[in-house]
Amino acid sequence: MSELLALLGFTLAASLVSFFLFSEPNRLKAITALWLVVLIFSAPLMNTEVAGISYRLVTEEGDPHHGLPDIWDGEQVVCIHFPDNSTNAEYDDGLHHIDSNGTDFMTAAGANSTGACIGGFSGYENGLDLLLDATEQAGGTLEVVYSDSEWGIFVTSIGGFDPEAQWGNAYWSLYHGGAMSMVGIGDLALENDSVIVWRVDTW
Amino acid sequence: MPAYHVLDLSSSQMLMLNIALLALIGLGLLHGERRLEDGRRLALLGLLALFGIAGRVLLAPLPNIQPVTLIVLLAGMHLGARHSILLAAVIALGSNLILGHGIWTLYQALGWSLVGCLGALLASRQDSISTLLVAAALSGFLFDFVVSLSILHAVGPESLLPYLVAGLPYDLLHAAGNVTFAAWMGAPLAEMMRRHNLSELSLEAGEGVTSPA
Repeated sequence: MSELLALLGFTLAASLVSFFLFSEPNRLKAITALWLVVLIFSAPLMNTEVAGISYRLVTEEGDPHHGLPDIWDGEQVVCIHFPDNSTNAEYDDGLHHIDSNGTDFMTAAGANSTGACIGGFSGYENGLDLLLDATEQAGGTLEVVYSDSEWGIFVTSIGGFDPEAQWGNAYWSLYHGGAMSMVGIGDLALENDSVIVWRVDTW
Repeated sequence: MPAYHVLDLSSSQMLMLNIALLALIGLGLLHGERRLEDGRRLALLGLLALFGIAGRVLLAPLPNIQPVTLIVLLAGMHLGARHSILLAAVIALGSNLILGHGIWTLYQALGWSLVGCLGALLASRQDSISTLLVAAALSGFLFDFVVSLSILHAVGPESLLPYLVAGLPYDLLHAAGNVTFAAWMGAPLAEMMRRHNLSELSLEAGEGVTSPA
């Protein structure tokens, strides 16, 4: 909020300078263009502030879509939560919300973790297919590395973070529908409104 | 032959390219309009629709900033509600054929039509720049509210308020963009529309008013 206030102060001062520097009709053009540019560059800050308020207005509980944008209700979502002390530099300012067309439309700074939720998908029947397509939509910053063994698919790294290599006793853990998945991502059958969550657990 | 398609432009370079293209299209609009005889309202509507579609598509990298709302508002003020509604529907459909067509197209056409009607209501104050600036800002919020209602097809009414709150920064950008477009393009666009408004021409020629829109 303090950054926004500082920006507001700067813009008001610059508007005042423009007022005396230009005469009509250029004065109006200069001031409106200045405000527009400032608003464009401060949009991520405003989004973060407003997303926290919006989050608190969402009161639904006990459903896997709880806390996710309502536009994704009834659709498939993949969430990746990075550990507090090993967050991804791309997503260290909160929980990003990325639509199925790749648009990063909201960052919730008030969320309990950092990372990204990519949602708005439908028609996927297999967990791995959804995971790979969703992370690809995020622009490659959430690249998934996995190994294929006789036990099935094992995800070793997401977004460049490999828990076992970092900590030894940790791994990317898969949750489906709010509970830990009993099968691996390669064998996970999805529902129409499945929410897949990846977070780092330890053993 | 060199493979130019491998030249990847950054998003800011692409935006600069798009703004340059839009400026060229804007110049084309000005040039094309000057070659029209006075009173060619439908031809002008075609040029405005083309400019609106190009503006919306080319400025898509900017969040919720495009010239369509101002064009429709001015069309309502100077050409009447019916023509602004036609313009709104054509621009919504035409631009969404490129950006993505769906149920939201209907809401966008409705939103811009209401903006056009707002313009028509303010027709008597069409020479006031302050009225135009305020109406342009309000139109951003009005349009976004109407389009936001489309989520009620997918979720319950209790979800509307959080959705509207989350969209406030985008509403603000839309309003600011409209005001900026009004400051930069309002006068030439209004002048262009006045030249092709049949009822105004009739009044100037002393023939009396036939039909306002």
